[in-house]
Amino acid sequence: MTPEGATMPLPMLPEGAQAQIVEVRAGRRLKERLAGLGLHAGAQVRILRDNGGPLLLAIGNTRLALGRGMAHKILVQPVPTEVSRL
Amino acid sequence: MTRSRPIRVALAGNPNAGKSTVFNALTGAHQHVGNWPGKTVEKKEGFFTHRGLKVEVVDLPGTYSLSAYSPEERIAQAFITEEHPDVVVNVVDASNLERNLYLTAQLLEIGAPMIIVLNVFDVAEQLGYRIDIERFARLVGVPVLKAVASKGVGIDALREAIFQIAETPESAIPAPTLHYDHEIERAVRQLTDALADLPDLQGYRPRWLAVKLIEGDAQARRVVSQSPQAAAVLALADRLLDKLHRVYGEDVDIALADARYGFVRGLTRQVLTRPQQPPRTFSDRIDQIVTHRWLGIPLFLFLMYVVFNLVQNVAAPFMDWIDALISGPVTGWTLVGLHALHAPGWLVSLVVDGAIAGVGSVLVFVPSLMVMFFALAFMEDSGYLARAAFVMDKAMAFLGLNGRAFIPMILGFGCNVPAVYATRTIEHRSARILTGLLIPFMSCSARLPVYVVFGMALFGSRAGLVVWGLYVVGVVVAALAGWALARWAFPDVRKSVFVLELPRYRWPTPRGLWLHTWEHTEEFVRKAGTVILGIALLLWLLLNMPWGVQNPADSYFGKVSQAVAPLFRPAGFGTWQAAGSLISGFVAKEVVISTMSQIYIGEEEARQPTPASRDPWADARDTLVGLGQASLDAGKAFLDALTPGISLFPHAEDTSNQTALSRALRGAFTPLSALAFLVYVLLYTPCVATVAAQAQEYGWRWAVVSVGLGLSVAWALATGVFQIGRLLGVG
Repeated sequence: MTPEGATMPLPMLPEGAQAQIVEVRAGRRLKERLAGLGLHAGAQVRILRDNGGPLLLAIGNTRLALGRGMAHKILVQPVPTEVSRL
Repeated sequence: MTRSRPIRVALAGNPNAGKSTVFNALTGAHQHVGNWPGKTVEKKEGFFTHRGLKVEVVDLPGTYSLSAYSPEERIAQAFITEEHPDVVVNVVDASNLERNLYLTAQLLEIGAPMIIVLNVFDVAEQLGYRIDIERFARLVGVPVLKAVASKGVGIDALREAIFQIAETPESAIPAPTLHYDHEIERAVRQLTDALADLPDLQGYRPRWLAVKLIEGDAQARRVVSQSPQAAAVLALADRLLDKLHRVYGEDVDIALADARYGFVRGLTRQVLTRPQQPPRTFSDRIDQIVTHRWLGIPLFLFLMYVVFNLVQNVAAPFMDWIDALISGPVTGWTLVGLHALHAPGWLVSLVVDGAIAGVGSVLVFVPSLMVMFFALAFMEDSGYLARAAFVMDKAMAFLGLNGRAFIPMILGFGCNVPAVYATRTIEHRSARILTGLLIPFMSCSARLPVYVVFGMALFGSRAGLVVWGLYVVGVVVAALAGWALARWAFPDVRKSVFVLELPRYRWPTPRGLWLHTWEHTEEFVRKAGTVILGIALLLWLLLNMPWGVQNPADSYFGKVSQAVAPLFRPAGFGTWQAAGSLISGFVAKEVVISTMSQIYIGEEEARQPTPASRDPWADARDTLVGLGQASLDAGKAFLDALTPGISLFPHAEDTSNQTALSRALRGAFTPLSALAFLVYVLLYTPCVATVAAQAQEYGWRWAVVSVGLGLSVAWALATGVFQIGRLLGVG
């Protein structure tokens, strides 16, 4: 189990991990745009691919490519999964 | 019931939710459907008739929300709220329900009669999603239908629902189910009451206006201020907003968005049950390979290599066939006809040397362009193009750009003009301009004929490699120019954010591919028919002026070209013929080859004696047999291109092309000077249309910068290639 309140930037999660978004640190327009794509506080994300560049994310059945710079401004809380698989 | 005007239906939905597919299914139109988010930038219209009711369908641009920040969102919101369509059809990707419902929540708030279409329902079912449609409809108060538009499933039901709502609009007015935070809700209600008392709200729903005023929406403010008693209401709005700012800080609209998300989450929870772990889809499995850390980029480069081989080899037999058709029967029969009419010599020359030679030499390239467009369409429609953007993002970061800028650049391989317009999808202005400056270095399809002709004439079996190499040089030059510009001219460009939806893979439909390919090819052929014909005729005139000039070098065109030619001497092609074709190539690259064939062939050979008659049966037979042989050869080449390294069908003999132009080029260029010439053609200003597009998108200043950049980089590199080659003792 993850201790309560342990948040981290999205890119720190390993490939295949699942997490809940706690906060998106961005201006209002960008925040709105990301929210439109499903990246908003409370959403569940999974990292499908991390090549050291952009992240490939799964949010529900949506697949998003997200630049690493932006990903660092998204704070998440890891969600333990029974089998972490990609 | 009789109507003076047709019922008007607006299609709204997320990019890639299948709006265009629904549009085509409803109207039977042939709108191109791409697997690329944001296909519809402008709105499109079509018609259908159901039970005697004429219905106009407007396909709005795809948007994720209606916040009026982007042009697409403004178009969509303004159409629904100002034009008052009779029915709004919200196309929702059922396999992506939660995300699509944010827009739905905003559409419901507008309060117009609405139908929700849960499209791609089959995929949702495959994913194990179960959606309670009846409950859904009850909760939002509007009809909810399921559909698989690509297979025509559910379209009849949609037509019928539109018909029903046209009869009884009340049956589809959304229930006001979305409530905001306590403080905001109170302000919204207070404002709604004040707005309800205003006369002349032009059919807007007071609650929607109230929410939008609190959001600070310009359109809502404009609507309200047109009412005679607006001042008091606007003052109230400002007062309420002030109060809210004291509670929420600057984040009032974020609180609004959060409330909408709350609504979406609640709705999703009530109508959707999905498996605990989302199953790994077929798309994910493909993505594992194509986005692989080490395989991703090599795979992309390999795919591009296959594409250029296809372009080169599959198209070649057809090109020979068209060439034979034009220089044989077409020219021959035209001559026969002109002689029968006793046409004067100059007219024969104008038609045969000017029109037929000019346009014909361009039409020859239709096969290779079709293969190119087909390959691009396949990558786009299948969904691969978005993955290429993901894979290339890190490399693009080197030029200060991100993966999103990669798509316009790839489109640049087709044609630079739409590529420049495609930069609109980049939000950041500096990133947009920088991308627009780099696009001309992407080798567009109009440049391909030049490579092919030179390749066949001078590089023999290595032509494919030379062509591929030129594309790579274009990319490398773009990379270096991007790096330099991002460093010195656009230091703020690195701040732009990369976020891109990767659509599900799907097998492109033959019809979609054909439409896509044909759309672009037709455009090219039409250009060949008008612009290129015009330039070919003008060129013929300039080549024959002053009147009766014998040697083309003495013509007006020759004189101007001679004046420019010395500039190109360091690059190894300082002849007036080369300079002349580059000058006309500034207008459009399509005419470089047609200019060359006019100049060189006009020079090389005097008109052959014209036969008095031709055998029509022999011509028809040869043409048909030639087409069959060409198809066979193309089929073999196709299989060969798909298995690089292994030649299943070795060429019987090196068919060194013996067309008149090839012979002339072999006389005028060495392989080295030809390579320098090709590098110049690759890098200098693509065409006036691209310059015009740049001026329109970024202003004249940047268009001029782009021309200057192109001319100087092209000259420097062509000179570099020639001089280094000479030092190495090549050529």
